[in-house]
Amino acid sequence: MRKQLRFTGVGGQGVLLAGEILARSYVRAGKYGIQVGTYTSQVRGGATKVDIILDDEQILYPYAVDGEIDFMLSVADKSYQLFKEGVKDGGIIVYEPNLVYPSDDDKARWKMFPIEIIAIAKEKVGNVITQSVVALAIATKMNNLDREMVFDTMIATVPPKAVEINKKAFELGYQAAEEVLAKANS
Amino acid sequence: MSREVVSTGNQLAAKAAIDAGCKFFGGYPLTPSSEIAHEMSKMLPKVGGVFIQMEDEIAGISVALGSSMSGVKSMTNTSGPGISLKAEQIGLAFMGEVPLVITNVMRGGPSTGLPTRPAQQDILQAQAPTHGDYQSITLCAGSLDECYTETVRAFNLAERFMTPVFVLLDETLGHMVGKAELPDIEEVQGNLVERRVYEGDAATYEPYNVPSDEPAILNPFFKGYRYHITGLHHGPTGFPTEDAKMCQELIDRLFNKILAHKDEIESYEEFMLDDADIMIIAYGSVSLSAKEAIRQLRKEGIKVGLFRPITLWPSPEEKIDELCHKFDKILVAEMNKGQYFNEIQRASGKKASEFETLFKANGRPISPEEFKAKIKEMV
Repeated sequence: MRKQLRFTGVGGQGVLLAGEILARSYVRAGKYGIQVGTYTSQVRGGATKVDIILDDEQILYPYAVDGEIDFMLSVADKSYQLFKEGVKDGGIIVYEPNLVYPSDDDKARWKMFPIEIIAIAKEKVGNVITQSVVALAIATKMNNLDREMVFDTMIATVPPKAVEINKKAFELGYQAAEEVLAKANS
Repeated sequence: MSREVVSTGNQLAAKAAIDAGCKFFGGYPLTPSSEIAHEMSKMLPKVGGVFIQMEDEIAGISVALGSSMSGVKSMTNTSGPGISLKAEQIGLAFMGEVPLVITNVMRGGPSTGLPTRPAQQDILQAQAPTHGDYQSITLCAGSLDECYTETVRAFNLAERFMTPVFVLLDETLGHMVGKAELPDIEEVQGNLVERRVYEGDAATYEPYNVPSDEPAILNPFFKGYRYHITGLHHGPTGFPTEDAKMCQELIDRLFNKILAHKDEIESYEEFMLDDADIMIIAYGSVSLSAKEAIRQLRKEGIKVGLFRPITLWPSPEEKIDELCHKFDKILVAEMNKGQYFNEIQRASGKKASEFETLFKANGRPISPEEFKAKIKEMV
């Protein structure tokens, strides 16, 4: 079955990497995965999105279809507001509550989960740059993807000296997703 | 046996250059093409090659031409604005018959345009990037696989026809990450075209004294065969001439060496056309969207197919003519205002009003939904 995911942020936050790892993990499992980013010519601060399509069958057109997106993760309000309409009604949105400000209407339309992605990376993992792996782990849990498959691909993709810190980032991201899901179901 | 990789189109173009035997890259980074340069800078030293980032686009192509004159397979890389800057030296490559592969990862223009967004606005530029009379060879990748295979083919065609060859990618193909199936390395390297070399008496060597439909035979410099390369009209030894007959023969040959061998250059794909009622004509990343739309429309019982030119220049004009007369309903889609549409009209002899068009020049891709909506209007 096709899954369409979108990560959004602003230039410089490193949202591209998480998408690439997801696409790679699907291909490693003998399926199909494509990631394509859209960014602006501003070096930092421009609204950035990364579309990831995962499927058992071949994917031709690489961009997600607006209105059909199953899952969006956003760490910047500018890109959240610009790209939220692409998420299907009832779809999942994970947002960084310190940086993204959804309206009450948004909360009624989509399944919204606040997770302090940047704070987790900065304070608990100890390096803000790991936010993309925190986001990756959240996306993995929220979309019921094979944890081991994504984790192994992440380890194979990040530089050797960054393996330990990214393991921690993945673990904490996954935990945070489990917590918000448990809270929503209780 | 094929090789499966997960990669971007830009990385694949660089990998192809290495596999095709490229040993020199001269250039200047330009979005959205820079990753080709990045990859070449990592890979070339490992195969005994040389990478150099020059001070600007002009110097980038200049050193690549000099390297090629020494007999080394060479490459430069940029996007549309860089081609504008390189235009004069591209002319020297056409005139002097210096092989060179030029990858252009297209972004929106004119001028600096839309640096980070996809476009297909350099189609006419690739046909005529510089002043004067000449025939361009331009290949256009339509998938990740083809970012590799068309770059390999470009090296082979450049060496075979002693001419610059353009490979067009666009921002979408250049930056998307996905699975590619590449031909086996032995298959690629077993079919490489190497430059012809004159092995006779150096005293009687005339590099440009060749049949009227064949390229010059330029031996590598510094190997004992002395001759001249110039942008001026020239005679058999390469030294300038204004002789009327020689000048005409030279330009005629720059055309004939390409046009008499179109069968070696032409390439296109016919996708689900056999039983189709409607034909889409599209190329590059737009064809991915067209194929997705075709797949979905066929589930609804609407029979659509695609014609995709891979070699854009010289165009597959006979095939275009044949198909445009076989189909009454034709949709031409491009990420520009209709640059290849001009060629489709010329090749088919049909008027613009006999086609439907879907043109977009705002840096956004044409989506399968846009194709479907347009096709449904045509049913």
